[in-house]
Amino acid sequence: MSWIYAVERAVRNNVPKVEGILKDHPYLLDLAAKVRDGKTEVLRNLDRYVEETIKAVERSGGRAYLASTSEDAREIVSKIVGSGKTVVLGKSMVAYEAGIRKHLISTGNDVWETDLGEFLIQLADEPPSHIIAPSLHMTKERAEEVMRSVDPELKGASHERIAGVARKFLREKFVKADVGITGANAVAADTGSVVLVENEGNIRMTTILPEVHVAVTGVEKILPNLELAMYEALVQAAFGGLYPPSYVNVSSGPSSTADIEMKRVRPAHGPKEFHLVLLDNGRKEAAKDPVLWQSLLCVRCGRCHLHCPVYRVLGVNWGIPPFTGPMGAMWSAVIYGDRRPAMMCTHSGGCKEVCPMRIDIPRVLEELKARELKR
Amino acid sequence: MEVENFIREVLVKSLNEYMMPFPTDKKVCTEWAQDVPRGGGTVIYTGCMYQVTPVSDLFNRALPILSKVKGAEKLYPLSSILKPTNMQKERANRVLRSIASMLKRNGVQFNYLYEDEPYSGTVLLELGYVDEFAQYAKRVKGHLEKHQVRRLITVDPHSYYAFSRYKEFVPFDVEVVNYLELVKDLGTRVKGEYVIHDSCLYSRFLGIRENYRSLLNNAGVKLREDPFVTGPLTSMCCGAPIGPVRRDESQKIASYRAYQLNQLGDKLIVVCPLCYLALSPYFKGEVVDLAELAYNELGTGQRDTS
Repeated sequence: MSWIYAVERAVRNNVPKVEGILKDHPYLLDLAAKVRDGKTEVLRNLDRYVEETIKAVERSGGRAYLASTSEDAREIVSKIVGSGKTVVLGKSMVAYEAGIRKHLISTGNDVWETDLGEFLIQLADEPPSHIIAPSLHMTKERAEEVMRSVDPELKGASHERIAGVARKFLREKFVKADVGITGANAVAADTGSVVLVENEGNIRMTTILPEVHVAVTGVEKILPNLELAMYEALVQAAFGGLYPPSYVNVSSGPSSTADIEMKRVRPAHGPKEFHLVLLDNGRKEAAKDPVLWQSLLCVRCGRCHLHCPVYRVLGVNWGIPPFTGPMGAMWSAVIYGDRRPAMMCTHSGGCKEVCPMRIDIPRVLEELKARELKR
Repeated sequence: MEVENFIREVLVKSLNEYMMPFPTDKKVCTEWAQDVPRGGGTVIYTGCMYQVTPVSDLFNRALPILSKVKGAEKLYPLSSILKPTNMQKERANRVLRSIASMLKRNGVQFNYLYEDEPYSGTVLLELGYVDEFAQYAKRVKGHLEKHQVRRLITVDPHSYYAFSRYKEFVPFDVEVVNYLELVKDLGTRVKGEYVIHDSCLYSRFLGIRENYRSLLNNAGVKLREDPFVTGPLTSMCCGAPIGPVRRDESQKIASYRAYQLNQLGDKLIVVCPLCYLALSPYFKGEVVDLAELAYNELGTGQRDTS
């Protein structure tokens, strides 16, 4: 029952928040519609936009790679990082999908998740249960129990106290880190900029303090331009229930300065190197699929999860982590070719109603059911 | 054989042979209709849903076991021996007579196809047998044309939803409505406070969530609402749609949903036979269909459950 309690608390905290945000800032619905159009444009011309993005990253002094599979992504990141390094990870579900953290540990690096939820997941060695709140399955009591491996004194601690333990432990890691690895909420094809939205400040530190910044993300995160990429970050934050976000980060290549004769040179104080790893892993094929392409519109706000009866009862047991919940039932098929999670859909329809991208999730899952049954 | 393949085989055979998801004594389907004229045109459509849903859990329980027995799919005609209990039959008759009576009181004239009424095919669609549903829809369309049906008045959300999707698969010009769109008052006063469990299909796919709320409010029912439990975006499913393929998970969802609803009260209104079946074992208190509230055997025009 602890899952039920945890998700019930999350629903009561999050659902009215999102509704309030959308009521108070109605322009967000317009932004969401523009993001949908922009993503649709990219998905219809994915190869061209991938190429444009790679060129744009190189123009800004970074390096970009297209990884066909998770294995390719691990290999690319491994070559950049090497071994014997301290690595901090900002929350990236694509990095989780590609198995980056465990791989880098196995190659002799000291690797730490810095998002509080991911940090808890790492300490507990458990899979993420929600796309933006990976430790959603943990009640405060369970989070405290897990955090005791860092501070054995914790007992009956508040939410703030538990967060404080993580803060103290991870600050030292940020300062020591050689490499920072993040995901991306959006990537702008025209500038090669990576846009990241967050609240903890861990991503800002991950992208700035280490000498090397690596962003690992899916090809579907590309938007035609920086304007739309910024909109996506705002839409994701709002529909995730955290608006305004504490921080929006834009990284365009390594750090730079134009303070001498207004000539822009790199690096400056931040990273010397910037790498963007774009992961395919089934996305390009899905983009061509007449039904499944819609799933790539997802901005990963995680709102559909909380409005789904199956997720609210089964949690992490529905879908293949990090792809749980209604979006996860679609994405389990996109990434792992596994259509079985779709079979659990009760077509309750809440997901479709709350999706900022207006993805007809029940219809996508109906199609996946049909394909699975034809197997 | 995997349970999904087994279900397909049995369903398709039964639908081909009987136009029912499993062989059924048609008397069970039709005995509610006492004085409804036989014929086409505008017809009340039951899909035999209220009548046979009570036995569907027996199938849900047996399917995983039978799917492992070689040749079991050939035994499907034997399922005709499964019949609802007298109490279950009486309840279904009560619900359907009440709906028919409400329609008449609201000036709606209709006929009934009796034993010629075909099943809508909804279970095929909802479980994902989309190609099979498309094939079956063609057959139902022909059947309805043969009986000169022009308008279907559905009485449950699943049949309504299935027919509303027919046009995607077959040219279909039969008008499809639901009794909750035609009935403007329950015809009785109901005292007391109730909790309501929405049908997901009525609420979020067919857009008639407010129809039954308004009917109940006008009849004097005080509904106990909670935006987290009965809100348009938050009300949960009863779990029934996945019962045939995932019974355990279906029951877990039903149990949690009943727990949520019980936090609001101990008298529950449902608007769907599957929701009734799924929630009744777990809800602590009285569960009634909206149509049962309107049914008044004694004709006193008053139901006091307070």
